[in-house]
Amino acid sequence: MATITAEPTGIAMVEEEHPLPFIRKYIFATDHKIIGIQFLFTCLFFLLIGGLLAVMLRYQLGYPGQAMPGGDLLPETMAPGGIVLPEFYNSLVTMHGTFMVFFAIMPLLVGVYANYLIPLQIGTHDMAFPRLNMWSYWLFFVSGLVMLYSFAVEGGASASGWTQYAPLSAMPEASGVSTGQQLWIISIAIFGFSSLLGSVNYITTVINMRAPGMTWFRLPLATWSLFITAILGLLAIPVLTAALIMLLFDQTIGTTFFLPQTGGQPLLWQHLFWFFGHPEVYILILPAMGFVSDIIANGSRKPIFGYHSMVFAMVAIAFLGFIVWGHHMFQSGMNPALGMSFMVSTLIIAVPSAIKVFNWMGTMWRGNIQFTTPMLFAVGFVMLFAIGGLSGIFMASTPVDIFIHDTYFIVAHIHYVLFGGSLFAIFAAIYYWFPKMFGRMINETMGKIHFALTFIFFNLVFFPMHGLGMGGMMRRIYDPSQYEHMAGMQDTNTLVSIAAFALYGSGLLFLVMFFWSLFRGKKAPANPWNATTLEWQVPSPPLHGNWKEIPEVYHGPYEYSHPDMEKDWLSQNERPDVASPARHGSSTGH
Amino acid sequence: MTSHAATMEGGRSPERGLGVPTQKLGMWIFLASEIMFFTGLIGSYIILRFGASNSWAAPGETLNVTVTAVNTFFLICSSVTMVKAFAAIEDGNQKMLKVWLLATAIIGAAFVGIQAYEYTELIHHGFLPSSGLYGSTFYSMTGFHGFHVTVGVICMLWVTLKAFRGGYTQEDHHGVEVIGLYWHFVDLVWIILFTIVYLI
Amino acid sequence: MSEAGKQHPRYMLVFGGLAVLTAIEVTAAFMGFPRSVTILILLGLAVWKALLVALYFMHLKFEPRALAVLAAAPLLPAAIMIVVILMDYV
Repeated sequence: MATITAEPTGIAMVEEEHPLPFIRKYIFATDHKIIGIQFLFTCLFFLLIGGLLAVMLRYQLGYPGQAMPGGDLLPETMAPGGIVLPEFYNSLVTMHGTFMVFFAIMPLLVGVYANYLIPLQIGTHDMAFPRLNMWSYWLFFVSGLVMLYSFAVEGGASASGWTQYAPLSAMPEASGVSTGQQLWIISIAIFGFSSLLGSVNYITTVINMRAPGMTWFRLPLATWSLFITAILGLLAIPVLTAALIMLLFDQTIGTTFFLPQTGGQPLLWQHLFWFFGHPEVYILILPAMGFVSDIIANGSRKPIFGYHSMVFAMVAIAFLGFIVWGHHMFQSGMNPALGMSFMVSTLIIAVPSAIKVFNWMGTMWRGNIQFTTPMLFAVGFVMLFAIGGLSGIFMASTPVDIFIHDTYFIVAHIHYVLFGGSLFAIFAAIYYWFPKMFGRMINETMGKIHFALTFIFFNLVFFPMHGLGMGGMMRRIYDPSQYEHMAGMQDTNTLVSIAAFALYGSGLLFLVMFFWSLFRGKKAPANPWNATTLEWQVPSPPLHGNWKEIPEVYHGPYEYSHPDMEKDWLSQNERPDVASPARHGSSTGH
Repeated sequence: MTSHAATMEGGRSPERGLGVPTQKLGMWIFLASEIMFFTGLIGSYIILRFGASNSWAAPGETLNVTVTAVNTFFLICSSVTMVKAFAAIEDGNQKMLKVWLLATAIIGAAFVGIQAYEYTELIHHGFLPSSGLYGSTFYSMTGFHGFHVTVGVICMLWVTLKAFRGGYTQEDHHGVEVIGLYWHFVDLVWIILFTIVYLI
Repeated sequence: MSEAGKQHPRYMLVFGGLAVLTAIEVTAAFMGFPRSVTILILLGLAVWKALLVALYFMHLKFEPRALAVLAAAPLLPAAIMIVVILMDYV
């Protein structure tokens, strides 16, 4: 076996060249890494809020009509005597979904990692438009504040479900919520604009600023996934913005887009919302898939199985994602012919997702697997996402959906893909890139405990929901026990609630550990995982500007365990020894 | 800090991408999203109007087609002045750059003014956003288009100011090109909007 | 040094075309043709004008082909959205 001497190209920045004042560096930062970290802290806070809202609604479901511990801290309008009111329950359900989708999962995937990783992984100094990037973060921050504030206004926070179906969402006299609803709309509109600025940045940067040799098919899958996600957001979010404006006008200035009394079309809201909403859920999963690919290849010490098909699968998912939205509307009364076409396209979209699952398994097969915490969460992702995907097949079929639409079967599916899927991948990403971001390791033992607790309690909470849904338990209802057919399910609901409290506890444990590790974690080297991609070839944390001299890229992103190499990894920017004739170059580069 | 991919000692050139300069590419990507935004509004109008069993829109009766046709012509003129401004700085002609930019801003402001006048006339005649689906769709579509023009005028004034301070050269005038793209886009949307809302 | 006007597209010609097309549009709208014919003519004229603006003023005719593809790409999901939702009503 020939030993190849390889020299890394490019020079990492090791000295602070032009120190900035504190406010310019950390508050109104334009450095993509600081912005990514700003998003991280803000989103962990919103994750905490979203989880708390879930704990409260689970309390009501587990112990209907009983006073919640600490519930007397809430005002009379929400929970008099600590007992959650039905109106407040509707708000809890709505705002749990809202905070989790818009302010936790989506920005944790995109706001944090698109910002942090893209310039590092493609080998450049910063984003194409650093000041626009700063605006993107601060607009997001403002939108979060507006959403939080909506709890405090008269009438409370929005209570029409995170999907805001009209006419309920357009009629304060029906929903009981007036200002809170308007604040919801305004908050999400601002959020949409923040997201849009981000998308413009990510897409332009990936197209125009890749280092020499970083061809399209040498990009790590994390970057590919973020790039495709940005395109989805670019095209889908503006439609939501338009719909939100129409909804706001219906509420405030007397227009009648969605109000049937004067010729409006409630179903139009559903079409517009889900035209956005379905690409949105792919925004919520594609980056997760990208991160998991990077982590599994690294943790298996093997190249990703089927790199090209992974890319094409993501492109297919993104493309098909625009023509499946009606599967959220099978029970809405829409044209049955559309029901059929949406069923077909939805079943088809399962194929590229399945290809990816098989490819992750193929990557791990016969790999030299390192069971670090990121790897555990990544493998957990594959398993739980697969379960979520399988339940999706049931609902894709229109006739089956007649029975399971708006039941807990759907809730189970949602949470298997969004929690078991996206959030597990987010945890994997946090553990994996924490050393790069902060120069310290998160304690491995605590990480494994966090994984075990999360995995166990997650399944205890959400697996039974498949059965509950099949048994007829509906979504978004305040007191299931009022229905005779659900009387027998109360025990299950109570157990699910207890597991949910424990799951939240595991999350709190993680947060404590996260912050502890920030200050007392073991110091991290530049490349603690012996990883191949470019972000690991600069110090931990990288300095402002990342590279003093841009690297040149010679290899694909997953050169692990190459037969010609002694060490089991080859970084993308290592120049092959000119004297050695052996080709150990990229397996996929152009 | 450079925003372009750096050239190297060692001679390998940066990855080419689409071969389009970064700021221009960024604006085109932004415009792609704007296409989807206007699709949401205009598409809803098309669906609500042509999917309806009754006809609730009567452009010839309710709206002032003549005034708006003239206004359309003005907006097209402003696109021409914009492109002349761009051509001027491409040739290094600082004086004509300023003239044409100023002209564009003025005509653009005139467009907004005439539209505002049209609104007051319509409201005076009882045609409001709350006037059923017609009012709802008309005001939201033209209103958001007008909002985009207004933002465009503000940016145009900023660019004009910069031009007067000598901020653009024959070698580096990306800002002029980028505001130009936005401006032409706003004109393009109006071309579609005018046809669908006022004529059809 | 390039000569003014030599390397630029014929902007004034395009302007003339746009003005003429607008005039034709407004006239055609009130000519009393059958409804579907009117709609077809007007939409055709509008698209023609839009293309003139996009290709000449926005320079797409002279840019790398990929940029024109990028610019035109959103039209596909846009068309899908409108057509499919219309199918729910018509």
